[in-house]
Amino acid sequence: MSTMSYALTDSTIMFRRSLLHMRRYPVLTFMVVFLPVVFLLLFVYVFGGTLGNGLGGPTGGRSAYANYVVPGILLMTVAGAAQGTAITVAMDMTEGIIDRFRTMAIYRPSVLTGHVLGSMVQSLLSLVVIIGIALAIGFRPNATPIEWLAAAGVLMMVTYAVVWLSVALGLVTKSVESASNLPMPLLLLPFLGSGFVPTDSMPAALRWFAEYQPFTPVIETLRGLLLGTEIGNSAWLAVAWSVAITVVCFVWAKQLYNKER
Amino acid sequence: MSTATTVEAQEATYTFSPETLQAVLAPGDAPRRPSWLSASFTFGWRAMLKIKHVPEQLFDVTAFPIMMTLMFTYLFGGALAGSTTEYLQFLLPGIMVMSVVMITMYTGVAVNTDIVKGVFDRFRTLPIWRPSTMVGYLLGDAFRYTVASLVILGVGLILGFRPEGGVVGVAAGIGVLVAFSFAFSWIWTMFGLLLRSEKSVMGVSMMVLFPLTFLSNVFVDPNTMPGWLQAFVDINPISHLVGAVRALMDGGWDTTDMTWVLVSGVLITVVFGALTMRLYNRR
Repeated sequence: MSTMSYALTDSTIMFRRSLLHMRRYPVLTFMVVFLPVVFLLLFVYVFGGTLGNGLGGPTGGRSAYANYVVPGILLMTVAGAAQGTAITVAMDMTEGIIDRFRTMAIYRPSVLTGHVLGSMVQSLLSLVVIIGIALAIGFRPNATPIEWLAAAGVLMMVTYAVVWLSVALGLVTKSVESASNLPMPLLLLPFLGSGFVPTDSMPAALRWFAEYQPFTPVIETLRGLLLGTEIGNSAWLAVAWSVAITVVCFVWAKQLYNKER
Repeated sequence: MSTATTVEAQEATYTFSPETLQAVLAPGDAPRRPSWLSASFTFGWRAMLKIKHVPEQLFDVTAFPIMMTLMFTYLFGGALAGSTTEYLQFLLPGIMVMSVVMITMYTGVAVNTDIVKGVFDRFRTLPIWRPSTMVGYLLGDAFRYTVASLVILGVGLILGFRPEGGVVGVAAGIGVLVAFSFAFSWIWTMFGLLLRSEKSVMGVSMMVLFPLTFLSNVFVDPNTMPGWLQAFVDINPISHLVGAVRALMDGGWDTTDMTWVLVSGVLITVVFGALTMRLYNRR
């Protein structure tokens, strides 16, 4: 059996372990979905009327805002999943199971690969639920099947980047509590971007940050693909940010994992 | 001189009699039983000392409201009202109400913590007016509500909040808010006695407080909400409290909202105060 096939087998086993964790602790998946759903309902029904009128457009009002806010909520879901990943990685690191794995003849990075793949599945399920609820409350995308696929690709790409970041954050912390707090700023990024309101309506300093932070080009790309708004150079920026975050965090996570604790 | 002879000498000097025993046990008149007011204020002072010794608990009173004010003013203010300054005039009384009402749950948490630690059983053996422990918690919290209100007001003034009601209107608004929050806290004292852990007290209170505060007129005019949501907002006591405080700070007076606030405040105190005392006496 070659090294490659060993790596594949071990990673598959660890992936299955992550899926079992998901099944046995459904509360984590529920929490990933719960917060974005609350914010989706809150912003569409409580603030949607007022914010939607400010957006203008042919329809305006709540329906216009429902379309506007969904990409931001999707990114919030991805950030929520990252928090769950950081927690599960930290639990593994603090409970001693990793020390047991290290004594076994398994492909070392397979533990991390399992976590990443498991989190990707969890995120995908959460995103499907959120899109379903969004469609039920008035989200009306006009995307073609190709654009839907492209949007799914963008979401998976950014999820992959954020998951590697959260794996690194889970490894760098000393406790589960701090692992749950460290990814918190990720949940704020859709707010501090174009996720909930146009950046034009923000004060200058805040607008500058909102326009140049990594989530804004992703949100604008999703908005363009699903709703037909102008994408501009957002797509390239989204890809660049995702690749950069993935590479940096992959290297960082691997280094942290290989370091003797 | 040996130890034995010392003990013998001591025994020789002390002769047991009811008089000598009484002199040791009751050197004077028994202390007067404290009045209901004195006992309540003593327990209120205890709650204040807790703040002194655990200042972190003021974090929720200060950090959360400041964060909410900044976030809604600068992130959403422009989109919601056209300008951040204009939105702040509308938002600040609402944020003040929301923040203070949110921290009322800590009364229940404090009650529950004392029960778990066992100090509650000690209080019940004391010859004091029974509700004074509960009233004390609430008096201590009334101080925290005032601090929270003043912190938010201070932040608001720095950001550009200019209440037309002046000092009198603002003071009246804060007074109404603190009075209602005092009444509202009785709900959480009941849950503090009813539930087994402080986590469950916080969980239940969050489940009640989040819908009450967010599904209200704190952030936006309810006229922009769908009909079914407006119906809830219109009967939500927090909406009426926000309306009353907003009117007072604007230099006006909203009779409908004020009546709602007073009636609901009295009702909450009567119902939940009675339930709290019943649970307290049965423990």
